[in-house]
Amino acid sequence: MKRAWLVALLACGVILARPARGQIRGTIFGPGNRAFPMAVSPLHAERAGDEALANQFADIVSRDLTLSGLVRIIPREQYIESAQDSGITADTINFGSWSVIGAVALTKGTLERDGDHLTVEARLFDVYQRRQLAGRRYRGGAGELRRMAHRFADEVMAQLTGERGPFDSLIAFLSTRGGRFKDVYVMSVDGGDVRRITSNDTINLSPAWAPDARGLLVTSYGARGPALFSVDVSSRRLTRVPAAKGVNLMGRWSPDGSQIAVTFETDGNSDIAILSRDGSLRRRLTDHWAIDVSPSWSPDGSQIAFCSSRSGAPQIYVTSVDGGQVRKITYDGSYNTSPNWSPKGDRVAYASRIGGSFQIFTVRTDGTDVRQITQSGGSNEDPSWSPDGRYLVFSSTRSGRARLYVSDLTGNNQAELTEGNGDDTSPAWSRWLE
Amino acid sequence: MSRWAAGFWVAVIAVALTGAGCSAKKKGLGPEDEGAGKMGEESLTGGAGSLDQARAGTLGERAAEGPLKDVHFAYDSFDLSDEARRVLRESADWLNEHRSSRVEIEGHCDERGTVEYNLALGAKRAAAAKSYLASLGVSPDRLSTISYGEELPLCHESEESCWQRNRRAHSVVVGE
Repeated sequence: MKRAWLVALLACGVILARPARGQIRGTIFGPGNRAFPMAVSPLHAERAGDEALANQFADIVSRDLTLSGLVRIIPREQYIESAQDSGITADTINFGSWSVIGAVALTKGTLERDGDHLTVEARLFDVYQRRQLAGRRYRGGAGELRRMAHRFADEVMAQLTGERGPFDSLIAFLSTRGGRFKDVYVMSVDGGDVRRITSNDTINLSPAWAPDARGLLVTSYGARGPALFSVDVSSRRLTRVPAAKGVNLMGRWSPDGSQIAVTFETDGNSDIAILSRDGSLRRRLTDHWAIDVSPSWSPDGSQIAFCSSRSGAPQIYVTSVDGGQVRKITYDGSYNTSPNWSPKGDRVAYASRIGGSFQIFTVRTDGTDVRQITQSGGSNEDPSWSPDGRYLVFSSTRSGRARLYVSDLTGNNQAELTEGNGDDTSPAWSRWLE
Repeated sequence: MSRWAAGFWVAVIAVALTGAGCSAKKKGLGPEDEGAGKMGEESLTGGAGSLDQARAGTLGERAAEGPLKDVHFAYDSFDLSDEARRVLRESADWLNEHRSSRVEIEGHCDERGTVEYNLALGAKRAAAAKSYLASLGVSPDRLSTISYGEELPLCHESEESCWQRNRRAHSVVVGE
C-alpha cells in the first residue's frame, strides 16, 4: 500500500463547542442512544465517467458508519438532491430537501481524477443548523480511494462522538479458504480488500501486528518445527526471528516495538517470556509448572496479561513486565482464555467457556465489572480490540463455519465481516494506519 | 479343536503378545493374520510425520502407521494412563532393539479449548511420553518432541469418539 500521499485539511467552519438547540457536534453516543439518521450522498464527480468512484466512496463511508452502530444511513434512493446537480457548500446545499427525509447530518463532496491521481473533498454538515462541521481533502492514487473513505468515516465519528473512529486500520486473520492449512490474510475493517499474505504450504498461527501496522509476527511450522517469523505485509517476505534456546511461539510486539512477548516452551513446559527485537531472551516472566500462554501487552507496555492453568483450569492473570507478583483478574467462569488488553488500558477482553462453547467477555484490569459481549450459538473466540477501544473483532462459529464478526461493547451491534469457503480465525486488529 | 489347531492358535497368540518386537518372517501364521499389522513384517522407518501426511492427504490412514503406536490421554490432561504406559513399554522395547533409530514424538489435542492453550497441552503430552520412554532406558538424545496442538486432527466430528482419537502422542521414526 502506498504511503506517500498527503492529507490536506480543509480548515473550514471551525465551531466552538457551545451547547445549542439541535447541535449534533460532539454529542456523545453510546449504549442506550438511538442511532440517528444521516445521509451520505455520493460525491460529485468532476468528470463524467467517474461516477462509479464517486458512488464507491459513499458506499464505503455508509458501510463503516453502519458498522459503528451509531447512525442509521438513509437509503440513497430517498435522496432528493442529486450529487451531480447540486452544491457541496453550506450556502449551496438545499438543506430543506435533506431535513424532509429525516437526515440530521449529511456528507457531501467532490471527486476529481487526473489519470491515476485522485483528489477527494468530503464535508460533514449539520442539517438543522445548516452549517459545515468538518471538511477534508484527500489526495492519492486511485487505489487509495478506500482508505480515503475510511479516514473520512473516522472523521465523521470524531465529530459525532468526540473520538476518532477505527476504520482506517487493518485486520489480520487466519483462513483455510485458500488451501489445506491456515494462512495469514489481511483485510480492511469492513471486510473488503482481502489479501493473502502467506502461501508456504504449512501451518501458520497467531498473527500479531507490529505497532506501525506494516508487518506481522506469525508462528509457522518450518523444517524444524514451529518458529516465530516476521512478515512484511507489502512484500510478503517472511523472516525468521532468531530464537533463544527453546521454542518461541505466539509472539506479540510491545507497544513501542522494542520487545516481543512470547510463549516460551522448554521440555514441554510453556511459560511467558520477553525477547528483544533480535530474538535474544531478555526475561522469563513466569517459571511455573502450569501452562502459561497467550501474552497480551498493556498499552503503556508495563504489564502483560496471560492465560494460566496454575489454579486448575485456565484463567487470566496479569504481571508486571519487570517481574514480580502475578495476580488473577478473572473470577467468574471456569475456563477463561485468550486475553487481549484494550488500547484504552482499562479493560481486558477474553473468551470464557460457558456450557461447552465460548463467549466473549470484558473485565476491568482490577478484576471487577465483568461484561458479557456475545450470547450466541456456536463458539466465539480470539477477541481483538479496535484501535479506538470501542469495538472487538472475534471469530464465531454461530452460522456454521468460523467467520469474523465485529461488535461494539454493548453487544447489540454485531456484524459478520467475512464470508466464503474455509474457516476464518485468530483475528488481530491493527493500530491506525499512517 | 485338534491339537495341531490349538497349537497353531497358541503360536499366533504368543507372537501377538510379543508385539512390535517381532521382526521374524511369517512363521506359523495363517493367511487370515496377514492384515493384522502387529505380527510379521513391518517397516523400520514407519510413516512420515503428521504434517507431511497432511500435505500428502494421508493423515490418519492406517496404511501410514509405523512401528510405534499412539498413546491417548484424558481430556485436558497429560497424565499417562496404565494403557498408555503399556503402549510406551512396547515402544521402548522396539527402540531398544533398534538402537540407531531416532524418534520424534508429536503431541496433539482435540478441538476444544483455544489454539494457544492446546499447543502448550500438546507439548506437555509429548514431553510426558518422552520422559517415560527415557525412564525405560531409551536415551533422551534419540527422542525429540513437537506439539501440533489441535491443528492436525485425525477426524473432525464434534463428539467424544473423535476427540479421544485426537488426544494423542504420536511417535514417528525419523532416521537411523
